[in-house]
Amino acid sequence: MSMSQEEIEALMSGLDIPEDEETATEEEVPAVSDENETMSEDDIADLIAQTDIPSEEVEDVPSETITDESIDEIISSIDENQDNEDLGSENIEDILAGIDGIDASEPESVPEPTPVPEPTPKPKPKPKPEPVAPSAPTQSQVDSEAIAKDWTDNQINQGVFPFPVEKNTKVVNQLSEVATDSEEKASKIFDVLSFILDENNDIQKNSKALDDFVSKQIVLLDSLSKKFPSISAFDANLKLAQSLQDLPKDIISRTDAENTKLFEAMELMQFHDINRQKIERVMAVIKKLSTYLNNLFEDDTEYHDVSVAKHIHGDTGNNLVDEQDLDALIAEFGN
Amino acid sequence: MKILIVDDSSTMRRIIGNVVMQLGFSRDDFDEAEDGVKAWKILSETQYDIILTDWNMPNMNGLELVQKVRAGGNHQKVPIIMITTEGGKGEVITALKAGVNNYIVKPFSADILKEKLDGVLKR
Repeated sequence: MSMSQEEIEALMSGLDIPEDEETATEEEVPAVSDENETMSEDDIADLIAQTDIPSEEVEDVPSETITDESIDEIISSIDENQDNEDLGSENIEDILAGIDGIDASEPESVPEPTPVPEPTPKPKPKPKPEPVAPSAPTQSQVDSEAIAKDWTDNQINQGVFPFPVEKNTKVVNQLSEVATDSEEKASKIFDVLSFILDENNDIQKNSKALDDFVSKQIVLLDSLSKKFPSISAFDANLKLAQSLQDLPKDIISRTDAENTKLFEAMELMQFHDINRQKIERVMAVIKKLSTYLNNLFEDDTEYHDVSVAKHIHGDTGNNLVDEQDLDALIAEFGN
Repeated sequence: MKILIVDDSSTMRRIIGNVVMQLGFSRDDFDEAEDGVKAWKILSETQYDIILTDWNMPNMNGLELVQKVRAGGNHQKVPIIMITTEGGKGEVITALKAGVNNYIVKPFSADILKEKLDGVLKR
């Protein structure tokens, strides 16, 4: 609840503070914490809105695309589609060498079983899942990674994926930078305003000196023109001086008006400080939310990642094999 | 007349300083501190006639500064005006209970500050 200046005045004039006033007991608690409840709800809503992927875009992207496994599948399917037109026994060999399990193959891309002149496919023992040993990436892995990176970059550029978590994209970092940068720039703007104010004050001083000089010149020229009426130069200069008499006053008046506007601009710069504090309040909410979510999702159990099925009966998608596809594949490999 | 302006925002310190100068004070009439700790150090070195302080500041906030000043020392009776964005009734009451003499909610106009300064200086 914000108080107007009038309400504060009313409080100042007759402060009647009930002892059981709830807020009065919290002597050292800054209001930020009091207002956090209201603010945090809004901010949380904003945050959720920021982190949510727009629904239109989500519709276009299958949900499994966000996993590394899915990216591998897409890459595999791309490779297969490219080779579909000429899928001979050698290609099958290549595919078998490249894939890690039958699930990555795409039913549509599998050709009808064709008579193979020499059944070259040899029965290959299914490789056991072993811990990944740090070894030099093969050419196909490098290609896959490049394709995956391109695809991911494309998704980021389209706004489907958020930017990767880096120093420059962390929300609190960004807000902190905005607050700091804006403080620096506001200080520079204030320098400019102060400079103009100082210049105006100098102009006013000079104008006053000029005004005094012109007034004295008018008095002098007036007496000279009266004493020597035959000399036209005195009269002409008197008229000129009289015409300029109001100029210094006009300059002083205008710079006064400018100064008033400059003071107004300086007063308005208070909103920079107010906005900075709003940003800091949002940052505080985000930090608390981050801590809370980390605690919420923290896993204290001795849980190890287990391999998860990529395709399960009932899933939607064209990567699933039906009974017919399965038989055809088995027949094709002649196992 | 010496004035101490305490605010963590350099822009705010300059704004308040400008308003103070509009009221007829010179640049030498006021000093600045960016938090309560620095303000407390300055207060121990120089005698001031009025303190203008923000509330939310790092290291030591304005409320803690007020409490410390009112607890004892050379500035125990010096008028303090709190100039802050905290506009809640509870906060105003808390500040007044801590010992501030007047309270200004940002944004404020030069007239408001002048009025409040006149008010505390007349006491």
